[in-house]
Amino acid sequence: MNALSGERLGELMNKLYRNSMEAMIFIDQEGKVIDMNPAAEQIIDPRVIEQIRTGADPSFCQTCEGYTDEQELISCARCYLDYPQGEFSSFQVFLKTRDGGVVPFAASYHTIDEARGGRVLMLLDLTKQQKTQEMLQRNHMLKYVIKAQEDERKRISRELHDSVAQELLSSLVDLRVIKYMDVGEDVLKKLQHTEQSLTRLLDDIRHLSVELRPSSLDDLGLEAAFRSHFKWLEKNYGLLVKFSAELAAARYGSELETVVYRVCQEALLNALKYSGVDEVYVRLCEENGHLLLTVRNEGVGFDMVIDEAKGTGLGLYGMRERAELVGGQFMLRSALGEGTTVQLSIPLSRAEQQEVG
Amino acid sequence: MTMTNLHSFHYQQEIDGIRSRFQFDFVSLALVQPAEDRFVLTWQYVSGNRNDRYKRIVLHSGKGVAGIVFKTGKAMLIQNVSADIEAKDLFNYPIIVSEQLRSLGALPLWEGSRVIGVLLVGFRKENELDEASFARFQNSLGASLGAFQIREVSQP
Repeated sequence: MNALSGERLGELMNKLYRNSMEAMIFIDQEGKVIDMNPAAEQIIDPRVIEQIRTGADPSFCQTCEGYTDEQELISCARCYLDYPQGEFSSFQVFLKTRDGGVVPFAASYHTIDEARGGRVLMLLDLTKQQKTQEMLQRNHMLKYVIKAQEDERKRISRELHDSVAQELLSSLVDLRVIKYMDVGEDVLKKLQHTEQSLTRLLDDIRHLSVELRPSSLDDLGLEAAFRSHFKWLEKNYGLLVKFSAELAAARYGSELETVVYRVCQEALLNALKYSGVDEVYVRLCEENGHLLLTVRNEGVGFDMVIDEAKGTGLGLYGMRERAELVGGQFMLRSALGEGTTVQLSIPLSRAEQQEVG
Repeated sequence: MTMTNLHSFHYQQEIDGIRSRFQFDFVSLALVQPAEDRFVLTWQYVSGNRNDRYKRIVLHSGKGVAGIVFKTGKAMLIQNVSADIEAKDLFNYPIIVSEQLRSLGALPLWEGSRVIGVLLVGFRKENELDEASFARFQNSLGASLGAFQIREVSQP
């Protein structure tokens, strides 16, 4: 590569300045803006540019909100403009833009003209990259939170089932033994009452344990967990679930099974609350390498455009989020008077498909 | 025991009678079941029902209309379902949903010091039952229903 002639270099530098995506702002020793390139003009509020051009207020502070240092996200301490000892080859700065918002930019600031103290501030829009990072972090966080929640539920559920319910059961057995001992009529009656209360309490604790997280989900798989949950729905709310399972007791990863179970649970709860009917159809099957869950009712349905979220809308959001966690797709179909269908489709890895066979 | 008394008293006739006497749209009676059914509470007798969904439901202490009355031993009045229960919580009261009740009251039925049943009366029209008419109903019902006493929790 040959060094360019001064003329050619000047021409290229000029083009770089005019056409670059990177915003360049020349600033003098006093922090006044000397000039900026078109990319910079795209960012900065025209009124500020006007102030600078006319010389009414040429300071860069009108548009700069501060930069990120070790202490704070947005700080003005040791401003890069008048702190020459600082190392500002790469930092994050926040600017007021022409659209009104305060937007972060990746910036570099250095002296290019020693003699006259001319400096250049170069800016690169960071919003898109930051959004990507935020999404990434949010997904990681969500995954973590959901896992933590499931683990904690599992722990409490096991504890209730293995220790609290067991203890209660043995007390109940003791109580039944006393009934056959030589006790008076009053005592016997009181014992019967206590036995009734304890029996109901034991059932309540067992229900609570299953409600938190059914151990059958871990031990026996989706189908068994579904069946016991549907039975529970029927007994508690009179909701009839017509279940067609076509999985032949296949097992999948614990994370995947949990997602399917929770999405189904939420969909059924919605049907119970809003559909106005007491029959719901659930189908669980495998098709083209996907695990498919369909929850359908023939109830009142709703207008998807107008009131997507009757209730808090958190349920729908949660189902979608959970589906995305395992790379699945969540679909909701409804229309007034035509019932509602929720479908979850999760791609199965090859390993999981083999487990089926 | 409860069960033996049950057969000597015609509860179905009794609640049919209550329904026509007070012009209720719906009357139902929940009773604690014997040991072989683990002493659960279920709706045993109904009058004026629109479907049989109630038969599927096992009541839980503290949950739903019957569960709350059973647990607290206090009468419960819901004068206007739409005003008193938020729509999103309504599913917790399956009997109200399935029978489309809009105004209802429920009483605990006692055997000695224990609540062993719940009597529910209701209308499918709002504000049909209010404090005054619920009190009148309780008065004219008297202090017992078959083998059970009808009273408030604080009374001996």
